[in-house]
Amino acid sequence: MKQPGRLSLNTWLVPLGWLGLLLVLAATMPYLESLFRVIEPDMREVIYRRAGFFTLLAQHVMVVAIASLLAVILGVGAAIAVTRPAGRDFLPLVSQLASIGQTFPPVAVLALAVPALGFGTLPIIVALLLYGLLPIVRNTLAAIDDIDPGLRESALGMGMTAGQVLRQVELPLAAPVILAGIRTSVTINIATAALGATIGASNLGDPIIAGIVNSNTAYIVQGALLIGLLALTVDSAFERLASAPST
Amino acid sequence: MVKPLQGPNWVLLSLILLGVVAWLWLPVISLAPNRIVPGTPYTAFAVSEGGLFLALTSMLTMLMLGVAWLAWRATRKETWLALGTVVVLLALLPLWLAAAAAELAEPDLPQARITLGAAFWLLWFVLLLALIELRTRLGLSRPMGWLLLLPMMACWGLALWLWLEPLALLREYQARSEQFADALIIHLALVGAAVAASLILAIVGVLAMRRCSGLQRPGFAVLNFLQTIPSLALFGLLLAPLAWLGSQVAWLGALGVSGIGWAPAFLALLGYSLLPMVRNLHVALGAVDPAVIEAARGMGMSRRQVLLQARLPLALPVVVEGLRITTIQAIGLTAVAALIGAGGLGTFIFQGLGQAAMDMVLLGALPIIVLALVTDALFGTLSEWLRPGGEL
Repeated sequence: MKQPGRLSLNTWLVPLGWLGLLLVLAATMPYLESLFRVIEPDMREVIYRRAGFFTLLAQHVMVVAIASLLAVILGVGAAIAVTRPAGRDFLPLVSQLASIGQTFPPVAVLALAVPALGFGTLPIIVALLLYGLLPIVRNTLAAIDDIDPGLRESALGMGMTAGQVLRQVELPLAAPVILAGIRTSVTINIATAALGATIGASNLGDPIIAGIVNSNTAYIVQGALLIGLLALTVDSAFERLASAPST
Repeated sequence: MVKPLQGPNWVLLSLILLGVVAWLWLPVISLAPNRIVPGTPYTAFAVSEGGLFLALTSMLTMLMLGVAWLAWRATRKETWLALGTVVVLLALLPLWLAAAAAELAEPDLPQARITLGAAFWLLWFVLLLALIELRTRLGLSRPMGWLLLLPMMACWGLALWLWLEPLALLREYQARSEQFADALIIHLALVGAAVAASLILAIVGVLAMRRCSGLQRPGFAVLNFLQTIPSLALFGLLLAPLAWLGSQVAWLGALGVSGIGWAPAFLALLGYSLLPMVRNLHVALGAVDPAVIEAARGMGMSRRQVLLQARLPLALPVVVEGLRITTIQAIGLTAVAALIGAGGLGTFIFQGLGQAAMDMVLLGALPIIVLALVTDALFGTLSEWLRPGGEL
């Protein structure tokens, strides 16, 4: 049998590989001029230079990270609150809201954030946060709802307090499904944040939008490659986390 | 599972009080002399001194407080009454707006526009949530919930048709009603084509996967991979090869295949649609109880008959669920496709964002949301109806 430690290192190789590719490409992009020249032979400029690729990458990651972190805290918190006896009354409404809200296309939510909050980075974070809440709330509710009530009973019968039941029984059992919700949420957020470039945020969507506006395919490919790699890095990291044995 | 109704309905109470606070203290509408100048905001009671108008505004306030009182008592009878009051309130909102528009109208400003303020949106949202809450509480069915929205829609239709000409959204629509119709048709056509094509491809793919199970893992891996790539990036990545194809292969170019336009949009939409479609078809065909298949075989059905007469009818609800997810996703992604010149309702969103014309953004975003919600409702009802032994 293989050693478990060795196996887990191997599977981390996938996200690390994508991450490496992402960083290498972000670093070497300005030197690949001759390559992009092939795509756009007639353009004066074939490398996006309005901002460094690392800056764009960092801003993209930061916006998604802030929004997702808040969404996890608020979403899991709300789902826990409405599954406690005190908040039970709100459960039907919250769960319906989470499933109806998910039918809203993310781009429409992003567009609606502008009239409400104006242009810039803040409206994007708010829109990502609101939209990112939905899969997390829905999955957390489903996961907690799925736990055998007998298990809760016996935990209480063993003398656990309500808080202990939540921390030691409910949350560990619900963790994989909650994680899947977070994964969906983050994946959507990475894609939607790129659209934020149309409402004045500077991130990896920027080269794509600039490329579309100036019909410069080289810019588009640069932005698209980096966003694609970022999405793959994050998604494969979640994949790895999901397959990890629970700690 | 209708629970006995008693004691305060805290959900309804907090919703309606939030609505009352917004109604009394936040701007409900604002009036701008033209498209460019920002408007002057008004709270509900500040719109006009006119006696009739004040009476109408007070009536709405009283009805809201009435709902709050009913929420406090919340027996079965009071919950029904609250439901009725919320339906009436939802229907009165557009009429109130029409009255406000009439009060604010000035003959020397024919181009004046009325924009809905934060309180209006919030109140509307809160009332709709209250409706959902009451519907769930009373155990009413889904179609019944839609029926409850009819008075509201009728009043909106009436108000928009007769009195709401100064509403900025309507002015924006009237300025480009033909463009809007075109955009809507393109949007629906792209969604329809992508969903139909993905359904056909998915059927072929899933049947192939069932024949030779070695295809299963790589197939899903590729589709998962595609689904992970953000839409803007995929549209962008398709641009270069398609532009090249369009310029090199004459008949493709003649068909309109190029870097921008419908071709990359359609291909990307198709790519995104495949995963939910294949996944649901696969689950649908795999999830049928083996005993049922055995029984069908035992009755002397051929392989073909088993597929057509036993597997498919049992799998259909899951397939419809896949169609629902795919269509809703495609409606949203088509909006993004406007960025690469595919047209559709997203055009208004991105043009509006470019010109900082918020009403134009709404003109694109609201119909997209409505389309998604209607699709969700239609397919949801259909799959409930198709479920063995299911009814509407």
